[in-house]
Amino acid sequence: MKVEKISRSPLEELKRHVGVIQEAFKQAVIPDRVTIEYPRERRKYPENLRGFIVLDKSRCISCFRCAQICPANAIQMSYFENFYPGIDYTKCIFCHFCVESCPTGALASSTLHDMAFKSLEDMKVKPNQMMRLPAAIREDVQSVEYDVTKKGWRLIRKMELEDIKVVRILPKLKPRRAFCLEPESCLGCRQCMEVCPHEAIVMERCEITLEGQIVGKGCVLKITEKCVGCGLCVRQCPMKILSLKEVE
Amino acid sequence: MQEWQFLVPDKKHKKKFFGNLKAEVIDAKLCCHCAACAAICPVDGIVSGDQPIDFPNWVKECVDCGACIKVCPRWEYKPLKGIGNYIEAISAKSKRFKGQDGAMVTEITATALEMGLIEKAIFVSRDEEWRTKIVTIRSPVQLYDRKVTGTKYSYADVLPALKDAVIESKAVAFVGTPCMISAVRKMQKSFKKFERVKLAIGLFCTENFYHHQLSEFLAKKGVDLRLATKTDIKKGKFIVRFVDGGRVSFPVKEFEEIIPSGCKVCQDFAAVESDVSVGSVGSESGFSTVIVRSEIAKKVIDQIREKGTAEIKEPDIQAVQKLCEYKVKIHPYPSKEKEKTQ
Repeated sequence: MKVEKISRSPLEELKRHVGVIQEAFKQAVIPDRVTIEYPRERRKYPENLRGFIVLDKSRCISCFRCAQICPANAIQMSYFENFYPGIDYTKCIFCHFCVESCPTGALASSTLHDMAFKSLEDMKVKPNQMMRLPAAIREDVQSVEYDVTKKGWRLIRKMELEDIKVVRILPKLKPRRAFCLEPESCLGCRQCMEVCPHEAIVMERCEITLEGQIVGKGCVLKITEKCVGCGLCVRQCPMKILSLKEVE
Repeated sequence: MQEWQFLVPDKKHKKKFFGNLKAEVIDAKLCCHCAACAAICPVDGIVSGDQPIDFPNWVKECVDCGACIKVCPRWEYKPLKGIGNYIEAISAKSKRFKGQDGAMVTEITATALEMGLIEKAIFVSRDEEWRTKIVTIRSPVQLYDRKVTGTKYSYADVLPALKDAVIESKAVAFVGTPCMISAVRKMQKSFKKFERVKLAIGLFCTENFYHHQLSEFLAKKGVDLRLATKTDIKKGKFIVRFVDGGRVSFPVKEFEEIIPSGCKVCQDFAAVESDVSVGSVGSESGFSTVIVRSEIAKKVIDQIREKGTAEIKEPDIQAVQKLCEYKVKIHPYPSKEKEKTQ
């Protein structure tokens, strides 16, 4: 690339100076930046916001499904009383797969999405912190909204402030239940039974002695009404013959 | 609510099922190292590989499901013998591939893949030192690799790989020794999922070795397997061919000490239960004998005939018959040693 020689005539110099001052004035009066000056400004939240995730400990059955499904590997289960999920917001991409896949609705979305933390350590949210609804810290003086046209992006600023209520959005639960696709391939290892947190899978017509041995033939495995569809057995089954099925 | 039934086999000893298997098969020196138990074990506790089958911590970890006993070809062992039933027998040589003899295993797999009868096939490849390595063949192109074709004479974990393949896809083929074929037939009897094994290609087999024992034995004889291009057993001789064109051979009788005990009671030479058996016996050099036993294998052979991808001749079925009888003679069951002790 050839760089043109800049004319050093006084007239040209003056012209450029005026240009620069003009641009500076323009930016001071109507700036065309598209970044939001958080926390002085706050973007108006859209209706279907995927916000911070809150945990209802009483519903959580420690099925690890959220941790398993997380594409960003952001969920770590930590132990107190039982295993509960904690989210690392340095990794979280807010896809809400965890919320969608939670069989009992223990995980839910909140109406807040303020990705501002004081330190990296704060971003790793522990289960007990996840049980509280996040607090909105308001320092904003105006709300902004993006106006996207074919030409480009523009920020629209409004002096009116949005009223932010942080609430739990109750997830729509799709009831599912474990289902055996191919009983003829069952090994009889009973790992599904062992792993079930609700004791929904039971074995009948078999006796197990003190040494853990099975006595009797023709044992029957049964998936009962207690099943909540956490899918733990589906993952555990060595022959992959179990599956989740939606029920009305 | 859903319920289903599963069967639990009878126990012979008052132990967990792996304890039964250990007492009746492994410690009785009947284990043929087909690794069917390692494949089926729901807790992945049974280890195979280049060592006798074992479950290091079975007293604790075995879940006592009995699956290993259901699939073990040597549980309540009744030796199979003879040449078995077959639809036709041919002697053939592939025009496309290079293999042990006529590369017919490769040709049959490639044709089955092209016909869409199978989605994938489990083959055994090798590393530089002739250790076995499982490969999954998804397209015939992969079969041009000379490491994939040809006999290795070492145990390989084909069946664990086969189980994974069966869970993933609907139609699978595999190549195995007669004991592996018998194990898969037992798996199919007990567990429906294994009906997805559509094509079981059996190999003519007299015995197989542990890799470390075979390479040690050959190293003692001054053979460096890293330089070998082909191993073969022909007319009672173990032949190793080298990169530089040289070859050495030893009588198979010298290998007696390293033949695993499980092979010494096996009388199935021609893989009686397979869909199609392939081996060199009964054909002239460069050709393979192919014994077609099932409809699906017949379809594949007809396709090969139609497309002309292999040269086809008449085999010397008498020679195969003779070797079948020979294997029964050299591998008596119940073994003589056992009779002596009883």
